[in-house]
Amino acid sequence: MDYILNGFVEAFRLIFSFDPEIIQIVLLSLFVSFSSTLYGTLIGVPLGILLGINNFRGKKVVSRFLYTFMSFPPVIIGLFTALFLARSGPFGQLQLMYTPTAMIIAQTILVTPVIMGIVFNNASTSGYEVVQTGKTLGAQRWNILILLVLELKGVIMIALVTGFGRAISEVGAVMIVGGNIRGFTRVMTTFIAMNNNMGQYSVSIAMGLILMTISFITNSVLYHFIIGDHNEYRD
Amino acid sequence: MNIETRNIVKTYQEKTVLNLTGDYRELLFESEKIHGIIGPNGSGKTTLMKIMAGLITPTAGDVLYNGQPLCQDIFSEMTYSTHTPTLFSRSVYENIAYPLKIRKREQNDIHQTVSQLLEEFEITDIKNQSARRLSGGESQKTALARALSFSPRVLFLDEPTANIDPKSIQIIEAALKKRNREEGLTIIIITHNLSQAFRICTHLTFLDQGSCLFSDTPEKIMAATHPTIDEFISFNRF
Ligand SMILES: Nc1ncnc2c1ncn2[C@@H]1O[C@H](COP(=O)(O)OP(=O)(O)O)[C@@H](O)[C@H]1O
Ligand SMILES: [Mg+2]
Repeated sequence: MDYILNGFVEAFRLIFSFDPEIIQIVLLSLFVSFSSTLYGTLIGVPLGILLGINNFRGKKVVSRFLYTFMSFPPVIIGLFTALFLARSGPFGQLQLMYTPTAMIIAQTILVTPVIMGIVFNNASTSGYEVVQTGKTLGAQRWNILILLVLELKGVIMIALVTGFGRAISEVGAVMIVGGNIRGFTRVMTTFIAMNNNMGQYSVSIAMGLILMTISFITNSVLYHFIIGDHNEYRD
Repeated sequence: MNIETRNIVKTYQEKTVLNLTGDYRELLFESEKIHGIIGPNGSGKTTLMKIMAGLITPTAGDVLYNGQPLCQDIFSEMTYSTHTPTLFSRSVYENIAYPLKIRKREQNDIHQTVSQLLEEFEITDIKNQSARRLSGGESQKTALARALSFSPRVLFLDEPTANIDPKSIQIIEAALKKRNREEGLTIIIITHNLSQAFRICTHLTFLDQGSCLFSDTPEKIMAATHPTIDEFISFNRF
């Protein structure tokens, strides 16, 4: 049991030593996951709204696919991305395998369905009423899109937080396409997995604490400023 | 704007919910009048109104607006409000200003129009409140003020005074009569309140099980001897 307690003591020492390698790993994790959440948003929000507010044949099938993709295991997505990016794969000449770019691509594939699914679900229900109301008040296509984004603001933020949470905490996809290369593609989760394998529990715990703190802070900030606000408007 | 329906049928999954092909296959909602649509629950009133407002398409039949089929210009001169309005998550003031803002009206213009509407509907004191936290009467008045802000030519109302206090009902009825008298606004209103129908409507259309049983002046409807109408009137007299 001692190693757990020692682990925590060592963890705090590590955190407050501001080790440049640790800082670099944290920053890379944030950069990769923020980037993929951003791309996931740019793709997932408009598509989710568009699919949600329109009625078309096969909408049920689309939503079933979407919900399946929302819970796809990260390793599978990592594997899928690797097949395309590997040297002999269709995008092999771009030489993206084992780079931060590859990690961003894999995580974008991971979070886009999450963001899209949440937005789609809400746009299908409350979005329809908003569109109808906007139309009866003379809103044109463009006005309606702006109106929808504003009305779904809270939901979009929840989607972002959820997407970011999934990105920053996954290990399977970044491990496969990033390769956990020291100083280049090593992120918090792959660092933890590696150190745990080597029996270095204290550094694992230290990084685990940092990861949890970061998740907690991003969530609190978003909840406080946006979702809290949004709930106030609820009946 | 005259609105005429011709042989309207609406079917949902093989179930015909509206079938205006009998004696009343042509209904005329005359310009600059206040028309009431009455009848039991599920008789197709909302369906007919949404078809006339261009929000849903009929399975068969046509609606003509001054003799023309629906187009964007006509659609943008009509508006629609219900007793469960969808207000936007912004202030009461901003809700009412919305139709004017998207029409790029002058800031001063907008302020003046909205202020007048706030006063008319006696909701000035809640103008900065979020529209998602209003009582039934307040949200119905806000929705109506928003619908009237851009001076539409045709106003469709689906039970606009259901479940609200008598004072608010009075304010809403006064506003409707005033717009009709002074601006020639054509109003088509669904109501369960028969005395309200008699107070404000010049023409009533009675629907039952998707069919029209009567479409004439309120006096003629009172004198009608159809059992369904008799029953409806005796239940809703007060
Ligand atoms: N989208 C829909 N899908 C299936 N049935 C519907 C739909 N909308 C309305 N109906 C049915 O059409 C009938 C008439 O409804 P409605 O026009 O709302 O009646 P009213 O407004 O007179 O109470 C009802 O039986 C209702 O269940
Ligand atoms: Mg109805």
